[in-house]
Amino acid sequence: MDALMLRFLQGYVRGTFGVPVWQTICRRADLPVETFEPMLRYAPGLADQVAAEAAAVLGRPVETIWEDLGTYLVTSPGHEGVRRLLRFGGIGYADFLHSLEELPGRARLALPDLDLPDLDLPEIRLTEIAPDRFVLDCRAGLRGTIRVLVGMLTAMADDFGTLCLIEAEGEGRIAIRILDRAHAAARPFDLALPEG
Amino acid sequence: MERDPDRPVPEQAMLARFMPMHLLLDREGRVLGAGPTLRRMLQRPDLAGARFEDLFEVRAPGGAVTADQVLARAGHRFRLVARNGVRAGLRGMGERLPDGRMLMNLSFGIDLIAAVRELGLTDADFVATDLAMELLYLAEANAAVTRELRGLNLRLEGARLAAEEEALTDPLTGLRNRRAADLVLARLCAARMPFGLLHLDLDYFKSVNDTLGHAAGDHVLEVVGRILRAELRVEDCAARIGGDEFLVLVVKRVDLQVLRGIADRIIQRISAPIPVAGKVAQVSASIGIVRSSDLAAPDPVRLMALADRALYAAKRAGRGRSIRLRSAAD
Repeated sequence: MDALMLRFLQGYVRGTFGVPVWQTICRRADLPVETFEPMLRYAPGLADQVAAEAAAVLGRPVETIWEDLGTYLVTSPGHEGVRRLLRFGGIGYADFLHSLEELPGRARLALPDLDLPDLDLPEIRLTEIAPDRFVLDCRAGLRGTIRVLVGMLTAMADDFGTLCLIEAEGEGRIAIRILDRAHAAARPFDLALPEG
Repeated sequence: MERDPDRPVPEQAMLARFMPMHLLLDREGRVLGAGPTLRRMLQRPDLAGARFEDLFEVRAPGGAVTADQVLARAGHRFRLVARNGVRAGLRGMGERLPDGRMLMNLSFGIDLIAAVRELGLTDADFVATDLAMELLYLAEANAAVTRELRGLNLRLEGARLAAEEEALTDPLTGLRNRRAADLVLARLCAARMPFGLLHLDLDYFKSVNDTLGHAAGDHVLEVVGRILRAELRVEDCAARIGGDEFLVLVVKRVDLQVLRGIADRIIQRISAPIPVAGKVAQVSASIGIVRSSDLAAPDPVRLMALADRALYAAKRAGRGRSIRLRSAAD
């Protein structure tokens, strides 16, 4: 997961704050490289370490940076693929939430090679407390994962046109409360990938 | 149209819910009902009562035309194409019901992605148990991973080329280095390609270093590098193979006049005074010339030994000149 998170973080910081800021972060983190490859392996925990440097350089809490990264992944046109893969989860936001438990299974289907212990996919468990109240528990090796999820869930709620209250509750737990399922029009989603 | 009055409408609604691509036919093969996704594909307001064979062309089993023939021959698995021009094919199974009606359940099979695009289908067109969504998801995830891998390959290839270039280049002069020159020389010999070899050593270079300093010496080497690049063609190879020692491989040139001409021009230009930090460095060059044709079987080690001796002879003969040895016996 570190490789993927580092790659995302790199894209987010460079795209939002500019390349020089990213270079400063890499220098401070004492990294030998400035670009991360999502398909390669990096030391476990490196993403948390780089995020901590990003927090120091940008002068914002690391939690905010991870949450913004989650939002960026869903909303940035350059990562349309992430949003699309998440939208395959269901017709409505509640369906989508339930589909999150299948996420590791879907990832393994797409990339059988992912099924390696050192890849450390997050474990996600969704509990429906009431039709409009959910608790999502997530166990992941990276501390930032839960915050990235908060950002993604918030952005996906917008995507489905659903009004929600989403809050991180301590380490590894997110509380979700659906206030209005048809708050706004959902963003269009074509099952077929646009050609070209 | 045949309809059993004892069967209530909910049966159709139930079929539509579980099988959005079903086709219910009367015993003669005329449409009694169809699931919503299939109706969407056929796009016919007058679907009820239409004949199976007017709607579909049977691709397998071969020779079957009517619904009856299809079910009799391959009810467990058949393939159809709609006659309305939709390109996505259909796969299906079916059976004659006890009351004589025929029930078929169709699917897009491997044409799913094309069908979704062609018909603008949405997730509401598929039932929860259908793996269509998983297939679409997989195709898309796969495309994303492939794209990422292609990008990685390109980036790695770029890095590899840069590293290779760096490993073969002398950083000070921008000429090739010893390793690169050895590779080119070995390749030319192996390919039996004719070439001329100039082994060049600077004269009086040590005194530039001693009197003007190493920075001035480096500057002189850079100037020599520029001269060699200017005097040679891109297909030739000029390398710095030692401190003030250079090797030039002139490809496909064994004419002695030509090689001498190149050597003398290089010596002449190197012998011109080189201004450096307000002073002037004065060097010259000695060159030993050999040709691949000087040996019956060109071999890098023997050619270099010969060139070395020619260079030594040039130095001994007073420097600032080029010498060619005719054979090892000279």
